[in-house]
Amino acid sequence: MSLPLAGVRVLDLTQVYAGPTCTRILSDLGAEVIKLEGLKRTDITRNFIMPENDSQGDFWNHAGYFQERNSGKKSVTLDFNDPEAVELAKALVPHVDIVAESFTPRVMAKFGLDYESLKQIKPEIIMVSLSGYGQTGPWRDFTAYGMGLEPASGISSVTGYRDGPPLRTGISFTDPYSGVVGAGAVLAALVYRRRTGKGQYIDLSEQESAIPVVGHAVMDFALNGRNSQRIGNRSHWYAPQGCYPCKGDDAWLVLTVRDDAEWAAFCGAVEHPEWVPDERFADVLVRLANHDALDALIASWTREQDKIEAMHLLQKAGVIAAAVLNAKEALLDPHLKERGLYETIDQEGIGPRPVPRQVGARFSAFETDSRRPAPKLGEHNREVLQGLLGLSDEAIARLEEQNVIGDTPRGTPAGDIPLDVLRMFVQWPTSTFLQMGSIAALETEYKHDLGIDQ
Amino acid sequence: MPEAALEGIRVVDLSQGIAGPYCTRLLADLGAEVIKIEPPEGDLTRRLGPFPHDLPHDDKGGLFFHLNTNKKSVTLDIETQSGRVVLRKLLANADVLVESEAPGRLAEIGLGYDNLKVEFPDLIYCSVTPFGQTGPYRDYSGNSLTCMALSGLMYITGDPDKEPLCTGGEPADYFGALQAWVAILAALEHRAQTGEGQQIDVSILDSLGCANEYNSTMYAYLGAIRKRFYSRHHIPTYPSEIFPCKDGHIVAVGGATGFPLMMAVLIEQPELETNVLFQNLWMRTIQWQQFEEILRPYLDEHDWQDLLTRAQELRMPFAAVLDARSLLENEHLRERGFFAEVEHPEMGRVPVVAHPFKMSETPLRVGRSPLLGEHSAQVLEALGYDAGDQLILRERGIA
Repeated sequence: MSLPLAGVRVLDLTQVYAGPTCTRILSDLGAEVIKLEGLKRTDITRNFIMPENDSQGDFWNHAGYFQERNSGKKSVTLDFNDPEAVELAKALVPHVDIVAESFTPRVMAKFGLDYESLKQIKPEIIMVSLSGYGQTGPWRDFTAYGMGLEPASGISSVTGYRDGPPLRTGISFTDPYSGVVGAGAVLAALVYRRRTGKGQYIDLSEQESAIPVVGHAVMDFALNGRNSQRIGNRSHWYAPQGCYPCKGDDAWLVLTVRDDAEWAAFCGAVEHPEWVPDERFADVLVRLANHDALDALIASWTREQDKIEAMHLLQKAGVIAAAVLNAKEALLDPHLKERGLYETIDQEGIGPRPVPRQVGARFSAFETDSRRPAPKLGEHNREVLQGLLGLSDEAIARLEEQNVIGDTPRGTPAGDIPLDVLRMFVQWPTSTFLQMGSIAALETEYKHDLGIDQ
Repeated sequence: MPEAALEGIRVVDLSQGIAGPYCTRLLADLGAEVIKIEPPEGDLTRRLGPFPHDLPHDDKGGLFFHLNTNKKSVTLDIETQSGRVVLRKLLANADVLVESEAPGRLAEIGLGYDNLKVEFPDLIYCSVTPFGQTGPYRDYSGNSLTCMALSGLMYITGDPDKEPLCTGGEPADYFGALQAWVAILAALEHRAQTGEGQQIDVSILDSLGCANEYNSTMYAYLGAIRKRFYSRHHIPTYPSEIFPCKDGHIVAVGGATGFPLMMAVLIEQPELETNVLFQNLWMRTIQWQQFEEILRPYLDEHDWQDLLTRAQELRMPFAAVLDARSLLENEHLRERGFFAEVEHPEMGRVPVVAHPFKMSETPLRVGRSPLLGEHSAQVLEALGYDAGDQLILRERGIA
């Protein structure tokens, strides 16, 4: 069973979240992805989330954050501060179909690795640049983090409690979003190349890629001059809709009632048939007008309910409802489990852990390759540099000696950070997070609960 | 006109709502011929606003417009046998079918994948539904809110002392759209190599769940259950939060090189470089109230444009908090031509939220949404139905 991108090779210069999501999707679909990192510029996410918070040994090969987005890739270390490394990267170009990068726009040109240069080396190359604000326009040189791009794309302007300030999603929303967009853009370019033999350049602005999510708000302003509004968990179209407290600590249920039939179904399911004819809630107009009173009424019922049981009760009656799950509950949810959203990946030195898939769809003709470990730093130096470029053992030894390639981080471009300092930094103050309230619980038996205690 | 990436690909689109239609919009913008099959009363989103001046009209829905550019609209009642005969003729020359009905619904009327695969072995049949075609919740109904709740993302969004919050803009549907679009393109590659079609099962919940960043990993590696905590992260990037400023809001981010010096320089108190909250990331993260007491007064006195420009000069990734108005008026987006304008026969000049990426050789197409049934005659005629046939199909309420 061959995967659709078998035989496609990707040179991956991306780091952190958006770019690595794009290339991991290509990898799961069968592409061979060669990830380039510098010893002084390792992917920073190799420092994020150590198993058991343990930063001993080669911790940079154990990070959970890195694993999620780099499963199945090959790792080659080439330090771009070294001209020889840049030449080696260029020498790889004829062997690849796709180059992916996520630097700010001027960087690739500085290295002579911009599209115009790559095209000279290999005319049919497909190159995708994922940057915060794109390759043109007055903001093109802005540095960008994912946490700034969700607000810059407009999404935060419609996210927040009613009459409250704009808020951000608990994830760096535009990173995974633009990562999936990038994978689709590359696939479209591959379809075109198959037909015509021609490559091309893809300019992906992570800000722009997510603006379509607020298409409704943009069109409302364009058509009516009405600016973005924050409506909490309510709906533009249906009432009631909201998030209601349930029995237990921090337990919540969301639900949406769209029409009279669903309202009657809801009242029946919660055994309050007298609410159906109640004139405050009897039709779609008064349900909207009396939303606050309706919320109080619904909460008077939900407060006495278990959120999971309430979800099933309402869904079986035909009402849109769902329990608000925390990470543990989502990992253990029977539906997500049967769907296989989390794949168990067994990484050397870490043991089996559930990792979310990055390709969301399930295919009847093939199964995506999404259970492979992430590469150790420099794990494939020899395989790639000798296999593709034919470097001799002596040449490899010399590059290792000169620290152009290697298997151990060597600080940052700004300066050397001793590994022991980094070891302290990569341990997270989890018990303090618990006191602050940014962590709801810190459980010691979690491996048992997840069924991954070997 | 330059060639389009998906030229020659034909998509029969039975989907309604947001996820399916945004997926097929991306295919249409890339040059595929997307034939949108609508029930005679039209796609559900034709009845949802925003409408100009809030006056409902089948062809003037702003959301419908946004989700359906460059498509052809054909009305067809596939609940009737006669309607399904027409649909099968269309499928004979189609590459892709996209649908968003409840699982099993189309099989009931002979249009499930198993009903079609013998007749159309190279057809790519993509279903986009809230919970997918399998699993205990497959028959449940859902929307972006339920997917946010079950994915674990809602629990970590919002203020710790308030209820969990759903991200605005129906985010799960858009993630579902993207994953369906990627899957269809991958299936087209598979078909080019093998000649075979297939069934694709996209769950909108799975699609959002793929994007949990490190929420499940914090539990699977540390046993830590994340909780919503304003707009803040555990990964070492504090502040990275939306703060009020003089004329609105600003995202203040130190980035890789902002602390301790650049942030101190930005707020015109360079002596703070030696302050422990500027020196030590975790200290700043934990004692965030004290850090905010230093930062907020300065932000309160400055405009977002000014803060953004100066922070970026200091190589700190500050960012703007844009809303619908400021997006449409944004100079950067304007120079990149992000909001194109098209002429719509019922609405006049309308801005289009254009493309999530730019391609050098096969630029994505800018276009408008179709009027209800605008292409019925053209498409039926191409299938061999003459004017007399079309009249009968029309009179019987089938087309």
